[in-house]
Amino acid sequence: MYDPLEDENGQPRFAVSTGDMSWNKTGSWRYMRPLYDNKIPPCTVGCPAHEKIPQYFAYVKDKKYEQAWHIILEDNPLPGVTGRVCYHPCEAVCNRGDYDESIAIHNMERFVADQNLKHHIPQSFIRDKHEETIAIIGSGPAGLSAAYQLTLLGYTVTIFEAAEQAGGMLRLGIPEYRLPREVLDKEIEDIVRLGVTIKTAIRVGRDIGMDTLQRDFNAVLIATGAYKSWGMNLPGEELKGIASGLSFLKEYNLTGSAPIGKRVVVVGGGNTAIDTARSALRLGADVTIVYRRSKAEMPAVPEEVEDAQREGIHIRFLTNPVGFSGNGKVEQIRLIRMELGEADESGRRRPIPIKGSEYTIDADQVLLAIGEVPDLDFLPDSFKLKKDRLLVDHFQRTGQPGIFACGDASTGPIGTVVDAIGTGKRAAHSIHQYLSSKTVHIPEEPTDGVPFDTLNLDYFQQESRPQERQHHSTQLKGDFNEVNLGIGEDDAVYEANRCFSCGTCTYCDNCLIFCPDVAIRFDVDKHEYVINYDFCKGCGICVQECPRNAMSYEEELKWA
Amino acid sequence: MSQKLIKIPFEEYMSPGSVACPGCGGNLSMRYTQKALGLNTMIVIPACCWSIIDGPTPSSVNHVPVFHTAFETAAATASGIKAGLHAQGKDDTNVMAWAGDGGTFDIGFQALSGAAERNEDILYVTYDNEAYMNTGIQRSSATPYGSWTTTTPNKKERPKKNLIEALAAHHIPYIATASVAFPDDLIKKVEKAKSLRGTKFIHILAPCPPGWKTPPEITIKLARLAVETKIFPLFEIEEGWRYHITHESSGIPVGQYLKPQGRFSHLTEADYETIQRDVERNYKILKMKEKMSKEISAMD
Amino acid sequence: MGLVLNEKMKKYFDPETISEIKVIEGTHSASYAVELARVKVISAFPITPQTSIVEKLSEMCDRGELDAQFIKVESEHSAMAAVIGSEATGARSFTATSSQGLALMHEVLHWAAGARLPIVMANVNRALGPPWNIWADQTDSLAQRETGWIQFYCESNQEVLDTILMAYKLGEKVMLPVMVNMDAFFLSHTSEPVAIPKQELVDQFLPPYNPELKLDTDHPHAFGGLAMPNQYMELRYNIQKSMEEADRLIPEISREYARLMGRDHGAQIEEYRTDGADYLLFTSGTIAGTTRLVIDEYREKGIKIGMVKIRTFRPFPSRELREATRRCKKVGVIDRNISFGQSGIFFSETKAALYNSDHHPLMNGYIAGLGGRDVTPTNIREIADHLINSKEGQDLIWIGVKNESKTN
Repeated sequence: MYDPLEDENGQPRFAVSTGDMSWNKTGSWRYMRPLYDNKIPPCTVGCPAHEKIPQYFAYVKDKKYEQAWHIILEDNPLPGVTGRVCYHPCEAVCNRGDYDESIAIHNMERFVADQNLKHHIPQSFIRDKHEETIAIIGSGPAGLSAAYQLTLLGYTVTIFEAAEQAGGMLRLGIPEYRLPREVLDKEIEDIVRLGVTIKTAIRVGRDIGMDTLQRDFNAVLIATGAYKSWGMNLPGEELKGIASGLSFLKEYNLTGSAPIGKRVVVVGGGNTAIDTARSALRLGADVTIVYRRSKAEMPAVPEEVEDAQREGIHIRFLTNPVGFSGNGKVEQIRLIRMELGEADESGRRRPIPIKGSEYTIDADQVLLAIGEVPDLDFLPDSFKLKKDRLLVDHFQRTGQPGIFACGDASTGPIGTVVDAIGTGKRAAHSIHQYLSSKTVHIPEEPTDGVPFDTLNLDYFQQESRPQERQHHSTQLKGDFNEVNLGIGEDDAVYEANRCFSCGTCTYCDNCLIFCPDVAIRFDVDKHEYVINYDFCKGCGICVQECPRNAMSYEEELKWA
Repeated sequence: MSQKLIKIPFEEYMSPGSVACPGCGGNLSMRYTQKALGLNTMIVIPACCWSIIDGPTPSSVNHVPVFHTAFETAAATASGIKAGLHAQGKDDTNVMAWAGDGGTFDIGFQALSGAAERNEDILYVTYDNEAYMNTGIQRSSATPYGSWTTTTPNKKERPKKNLIEALAAHHIPYIATASVAFPDDLIKKVEKAKSLRGTKFIHILAPCPPGWKTPPEITIKLARLAVETKIFPLFEIEEGWRYHITHESSGIPVGQYLKPQGRFSHLTEADYETIQRDVERNYKILKMKEKMSKEISAMD
Repeated sequence: MGLVLNEKMKKYFDPETISEIKVIEGTHSASYAVELARVKVISAFPITPQTSIVEKLSEMCDRGELDAQFIKVESEHSAMAAVIGSEATGARSFTATSSQGLALMHEVLHWAAGARLPIVMANVNRALGPPWNIWADQTDSLAQRETGWIQFYCESNQEVLDTILMAYKLGEKVMLPVMVNMDAFFLSHTSEPVAIPKQELVDQFLPPYNPELKLDTDHPHAFGGLAMPNQYMELRYNIQKSMEEADRLIPEISREYARLMGRDHGAQIEEYRTDGADYLLFTSGTIAGTTRLVIDEYREKGIKIGMVKIRTFRPFPSRELREATRRCKKVGVIDRNISFGQSGIFFSETKAALYNSDHHPLMNGYIAGLGGRDVTPTNIREIADHLINSKEGQDLIWIGVKNESKTN
């Protein structure tokens, strides 16, 4: 029979193709191998809880807020809280900050949390079941974070809280205009719904002994926070009207009222000082902050300082009290001007008093907010302390078998809500390892974020960060309504898209689009790109054109 | 949306296994073009890199019919194929001539000019790698000023032929420049060309790592820089006179495009200045033409 | 049945097979053949004296008499490239050229044959320049002998028409292109009565072209891609096999044509009064017509001389020529062409063909009529006399060249 393609000798009759080139495995040409290699973004490194920020942004882009929330919940059960009160170290290291303006990550977190106020953490998050029980002392962010993570790991957790209500510093220290109580209540309720028991109004050491906890529970976690305010040891400090800022906040936050003067001076430059000052302002006082360094050295969140000044709080920088006077009750505060000298161990320039610059101002109430330390009197002496805090190792172990510590009660890292959440999470993993194998190693925590100069900026345009909405009251007195109102949906989606998504594949298809050799495909079932190494010639275009350094290029010999 | 999300058709009309060099801009050009044209297409390939890339008998990378033809005949052969199909009532089939810069700017120019003047219903695409690369980097009239090639061992002293303007003088329905760094723009242009009857001409700048003496991974980066430096602006011309710039070049200094390329490694600062000056002038001319054609359109 | 022929005409034309008799030039004869063959695509570039072929075809297309696409290209090179393209789609295609135009096509002539495309081309044999010369000379087409084209040479306008129809049939059977040659002016611009066959008979003879392999989006193939040394030779072997198949088919197709149309121009060769001939003159093209007169004249005188008209140059009719010369003593080959540094081209080919024959007549090669110079009966007599008197063979004898001193 006549075959147009082959002659009677089986040879080609014409120079005609009968198939494609897929027999030609050009992968053998390759000496460099591209591969998908998601890396840690700087924001995740910068976040003490290591939230997977680009991953939850990916859901925000698609307006899938519940899924976005679930991603955050892997690392942090309190996004509504941290989205409001976290000092967002993630934003400080955001690569976008080197390009135009860093991503408004805290507002994104808050937006996602707020979208889920009607949702609850699903029971399906609980991955396992263990017989062991754990006692946690303190229901602040550290204790709640640890309780949550341990519950997900399958343990039975009981929290002992000295106060009438759970929340620790979140409830006692942070004013409502920064953190509405319904948000806090909801997020605590979510944790309780998962099965965590919180026993309030039980102070360990008074109502129950540490030894009892050690006997009744398989592990104990100390997360009592830091409530003991430092004094200044100045003449006249014993006068009436002089108190700690934190005790003032606690009183107001728990009871809804607190004694207030007409002319209040707050001493300090941290967040407690600002919270104290702004709460006092809302109770009708004329408020002045006295801070011994300049604005640049203030540890408080800069936005909070700006808000305080905008609201009419006068800040005397480079000024420190040297004494108080008054007839049984404080009436005046004596101040001295300071100048900045060499940097101290905190890296900030040390304030030095200027001789002969003392002066006096009137004050009928002075609230000191210069720092807090934990109150660990309930513990036996066998616990090691460092600078008044419980000394812990990297695994939050105290050195006593089965006893762990986290948050501000421990050596840290400390200082902020998200540090507390981060150490709580780490403590939970340590406890799990301790209970399951008696050996402790926790998942490796990220250290290096994707550097800015490894991004392909050709795919980004300079754009600005969305402005946060704010509630500005004409009559501040008595107005504890939330000041910052976050961002709306359009801004959130915009911001999710503006994110470089450093080191995290966003399925932008660039690798697939720019492959000259049709060697990359998207596996719909696995939802991932697949490089066909039979054909990939190793040109490296995919790696180069990945906008976000989510691919790597390695010597082929490594894979031989 | 801040990301320039590129959207291109999903379907592939090429098999892997082509013998194109790693990082070949010509291979990508075909891949994109085919995505716009689809399976009802025939391709004429004269002597060029693609004579090899398509694969040896009995294989072909392309999933559509391919007809290999002599160096200078792409446009004429495509004309014949179109006539043959027309005679058989198969008018809806896209006939594309697919030629390198040598087969277009030089040896194939006569046939191209003839086909364009007759307004043959074909799409002619040149993937321009700016020299005779298949034979080993000899200068063509598409080689830019200053470039090293094996036949311009010092540097090419004459500027690149402005073929687009030569084609515009034929008053064909559609002419466009395109770049592998802008696949969505490229595909849109091919789709537009596909929708029009008559001769359509698309000029794709296709970086060639071995010929340009560049690492293969920067093919797209270079293609993009060629556009953004105004060296290879993206625009289209309708009916030979309506100019439309499809992507405004950002005006990055030409050095950023030239310096990574080994073929320009001998250039001096004075050369860069000369090139920059020419590029600025040419872009101004292009902008004026766009403005002028808008004004003329408004008068109609 | 309106055609009425007188008795003399009936000797030449069978009224049952023809629709009309037209007194037309050779170029138009080609044009009518194209119309009858239902060609789908034509592409051509004007060159004297081919021009009137394409002018006539343009008229036919313009009037709608011929339903074909006519691509009026900018060069012969593009003309050939265009019909290569159209033929590749399975559309029967035609082009025509001459001389410089054919030389320009040279590269793509190889392409057409290598791509196995049965294009038919009419070539008007014209001299190549410089100096400019537009008159008859076969060197243009003979210079294309290695391109893989089948070549026919015609003696009359009728033969041009009939051969073009047979060329399509032959080419499409063996998948090779066919060139049909006619002498400039002596045929191209000389009017002769030509019987136009009935279309239905042509359709019966020449069915629509439908190749097994073509450019077809439903059955996509790449054509002509790189062939490696381990493939190329077989592809070339197959072209030769197809040439040999053509050699076998030509008599068959000629017989079929003769049966249908009542006209027979011979197959690869036509023998004229060769019975018992001692001397044979080999001719091609219009010189054959003049030679017939001289043969008749010499035969009247009792001289045993005959003529062999060579119709096909490729495939070369070696077998037929060996057979035809089996009993003759001397052969004279008249060439209206020259391969510089050798001899007339038909001569050297014929000589080569007879080398492996068991009978080796004396052979002379005559060059005559280059650049359109008349080859008159006197010239033919001179050749015949020279041949008859030759004692030994001579490769190169110039006829009619001024100041040429002849040996013998």
